[in-house]
Amino acid sequence: MAWKLGRRQAIAGLGGSLLLGNAAHAETPRNGGTLNVGLASDAKTYDPIYSVQFTERHVLYLVFNTLVKYAPDFSIQPELAASWETSQDGKRIVFTLQQGVTFHDGTPFNADAVKWNIDRRLDPTVNSPQRELLAPVIASVEVLDPHRVAFNLTKPSPAIFSLLGERPGFMVSPTSWQKLGKEFAEHPVGTGAFVLKEWVRGSQVVLEKNPNYWEKGLPYLDRIVVRDLAGSVVGVQRLLTGEVDYVGELTASDVRPIEGKPDIVLKPIKVGRWYFLQWHVNAPPFDNAKLRQAIAHAIDRKRLNEITMRGQGYVSDSPTPEGLWWYDPTVKSYDYDPAKAKALLAEAGYPNGFEYQLSTPQVAIFQQINQLLQEQFAAVGIKVTLQPVASSEWYARVVDGTTNMTPTRWTQRADPDGLLYILFDSKGFANTMKYRNDKVDALLEEARTTYDIGTRKRLYRAAQQQIVTDLPMVPLIFGAEYAALRGNVRGFEWIPDQIPRFRELWKARA
Amino acid sequence: MTRPGLWIGFLVIATVVTLALLAPELAPHDPYRSGVDMLDLPSRAHPLGTDDLGRDILSRVIHGARTSLAIGFGAAMVGMVIGVPIGLIAGYFRGRLDFVLVALIDLFIALPGLVLALIITVMIGPSVRNLVLVLGFVMWPAIARLVRGQTLAVRETVFVEAARAVGGSQGWIIRRHVWPSVLPVVAAQFAISVSFAIFTSASLSFLGLGIPPPAADWGGMVRSGYDYLAINPLMSLAPGAAVTFTVMGFYVIGASFK
Repeated sequence: MAWKLGRRQAIAGLGGSLLLGNAAHAETPRNGGTLNVGLASDAKTYDPIYSVQFTERHVLYLVFNTLVKYAPDFSIQPELAASWETSQDGKRIVFTLQQGVTFHDGTPFNADAVKWNIDRRLDPTVNSPQRELLAPVIASVEVLDPHRVAFNLTKPSPAIFSLLGERPGFMVSPTSWQKLGKEFAEHPVGTGAFVLKEWVRGSQVVLEKNPNYWEKGLPYLDRIVVRDLAGSVVGVQRLLTGEVDYVGELTASDVRPIEGKPDIVLKPIKVGRWYFLQWHVNAPPFDNAKLRQAIAHAIDRKRLNEITMRGQGYVSDSPTPEGLWWYDPTVKSYDYDPAKAKALLAEAGYPNGFEYQLSTPQVAIFQQINQLLQEQFAAVGIKVTLQPVASSEWYARVVDGTTNMTPTRWTQRADPDGLLYILFDSKGFANTMKYRNDKVDALLEEARTTYDIGTRKRLYRAAQQQIVTDLPMVPLIFGAEYAALRGNVRGFEWIPDQIPRFRELWKARA
Repeated sequence: MTRPGLWIGFLVIATVVTLALLAPELAPHDPYRSGVDMLDLPSRAHPLGTDDLGRDILSRVIHGARTSLAIGFGAAMVGMVIGVPIGLIAGYFRGRLDFVLVALIDLFIALPGLVLALIITVMIGPSVRNLVLVLGFVMWPAIARLVRGQTLAVRETVFVEAARAVGGSQGWIIRRHVWPSVLPVVAAQFAISVSFAIFTSASLSFLGLGIPPPAADWGGMVRSGYDYLAINPLMSLAPGAAVTFTVMGFYVIGASFK
C-alpha cells in the first residue's frame, strides 16, 4: 500500500505545501508513485474508433497518442506528427512523423499505420461515429515513405488539425485491432505513455507505465488507477481522506468545503462551458429585434456570475472566452441597463411588458440561472413563469420548437469552426435558434476554408460581433469548473476541452 | 380530554396556520430576493442561513407554510367533495348501486397513491392547482370507503328506522340523521387527509414534480438543498423538519378523533 499516506507523512505534507507557491516551478519531477483518479465514469469502450462517451477520453489520452495535440489556448502542436506542410491550394497536408515509435504490442508506428487508422474511420463497414466528421473533408490518405504521409482534402480545411488532436487522431495498433476484434474495446493498444492492464467496469481502470515510451523521460508515474465515483460530493470526501489524488467536474459550490485546505490544490478552468439564453428568432415575440434588445439590456450578467459561479466564472460578451486564440475583447454584447430595457420594450410595442414561459431543464445550474433571470426580468416588467422540463426531453423540445426561450450551454471546441458554425451558420446542425444572416454565413464559410490564423481571427471577430448584435441568443456567462488535487501532485494544466491530461503528472514526496 | 397528543397536534397546527397567515409580517426577508451571500451558515441577519441563490431560508420556510397548507386543505376538500357523497350514497342505498361504487372504490384504493399522483402529474404538469386536484383525486376512495362503512352502521340504528317509519324523505334522513353521525369520522379523516396531501406533495416536489421554482415550497427546498448538504445542511433540514412537524400535527389529531 505504498500510496497510502501515513499520519506522519501527512503532517509533513502540510508543512511542505506551505512552501509550494514558490517552490513548485523549481522542482525537478520525481519518478514513481501511483496516481489515483476519482471519476464519475461513463465509459463504454476504450476503442478510440468507436468512442463517444465523455470520460472515455480521460483514459484514451493515456493509452494513445494523437497525431497533433492542443495547447492550453487550443493552438495546435506536434505529437505523433513532428511537423507538417500545407500545399498552396490548401488541399494537401503532408505530415512528417516521429521516428522510433512503437505500439505497446511491438508494431512499429509509421505512415502505413496512419493511413490504416484514417481509412478504418472512413470505411462505412466499420461504422465509426467519426466518419461523418472526416468523410466530407478527407479524399484520401497517401503513404509517401515510412515517415511521411499525405492527407488529400476535398477543400481547404483548417479544422482538420483540431480533429486530429481528438478522437479521430488517436493512433490505434492495426495489428492488435485486427487480432482482438471486439475485445479491443477492453484491451486497447496504442503508443501512449501508459498501458491498460485491467478494466473492471463500474469499478476501476488500472494503467501501468509504458517503459518504452517514445517521449524521453516520460512518464514519471509508475501507475494510474482511475476509480469510479458516484458523484462530486463523494469525490471530495475521498480526496480529503487521500483515497484519490484527483477529482474533476466540481462546481463553485462543490469546492467550498475544500477551499483553503493546505494539502489540496484547486485548478479552476475558466474557458469552460458557455451559457446563453436562446430563442427562435422567427417566432413571435422574439422576431422583434427591439424586444430582443430589451431582454438583453434587462440581464445583469455580472450578478449571474456572482451568484451561480460565486464570481469565479466570466461574464460572456461573445461565444468565445478569453484565453482562446479567436477571442477578441472588442466584441461586445448589450450592457445591463434596466431603464433602457423598459424604453426598448415600449418601442417594441410592449409598454407594459409581456408574459412568457421560460423553460427550466431539471439541472441545478439552469434552475438557478432561470430564477435569477425571472427576478431580473420582473424588474423591467417582463413576467416569466418557469416551466420545468425533464432533462431527457429538453433538447428534443428545443430542436422541434415546443420549447422556445431557454438557457443552453456548450463546451468549447478546439477550432472556432467547431462551435460557431454548428450554432450560427444557417446550415449548422445545432442552430436551434433558426438564425440566418447571409453575411454571417459568408464570413463563417470563408473562415473555415482559410489556414492563415490572422485572417481567420479577423473573420471570426466580424462574424461574432454580427451574431451578438443580431441576438439570436443573449450570451450570459462562462462557467467556472474545478479540478481538485492532492497537494503533492504536480504538473496539472487544463486544456479548454475540459478533458484532464494525466500523462505528464508526477508526485512529490508527501 | 386526557390525550396529550391532541394538544401537541393543535399547538403545531396553530403555529403553522399562524405562520401561513402572517407570513409577510413574520418573515424577516423577501423569500424570493436573491443575494450574493449564498449558502451562508446561520447568522443574526439570516437565522437559518441562506440558500444557493442567497435567499433567506427562514423566510422561505415561513412562506412555505402557505403553500403547504393551501395544498393540504385544498386537496383534502377535493377528496371530501368527491368521497363523502359517494360513501353516503353507497352506504345508505345498498344494493346494486353500492356494489358498483364499492368496486370502483376498491379499484382506486388498489393503486398506490404516490405512484398514481406521479403519473397524473407527469401528464398534466405541475402547479399548485393541479397538485390540489391530483392529490384530492388520489384520496377520495379512502374517504368514500370510510364514510360508507359508518353510514352502513348508522342506517341500521333505531332512530334512523324511526325516521323512516314517520315517512321522512330519504334526503331529509341522510341530512338530518345520518350525516351528523358520520361527521366526526369525516372530521378525523379530513385531518389525516391534510397530512397525507402535504406529505405526498413534498414527495412529489422532491422527485422534481412539485411546484416549479422559485416557489417557497418545502418539498422543493429539500430537493434543491440536497446538493449542498456539506455546506449548509439547513437548506434541506429546515424545510424537512417543517414538513415532518406539520404532517405529524395533522395526523395526531386525526388519529385521536378516530
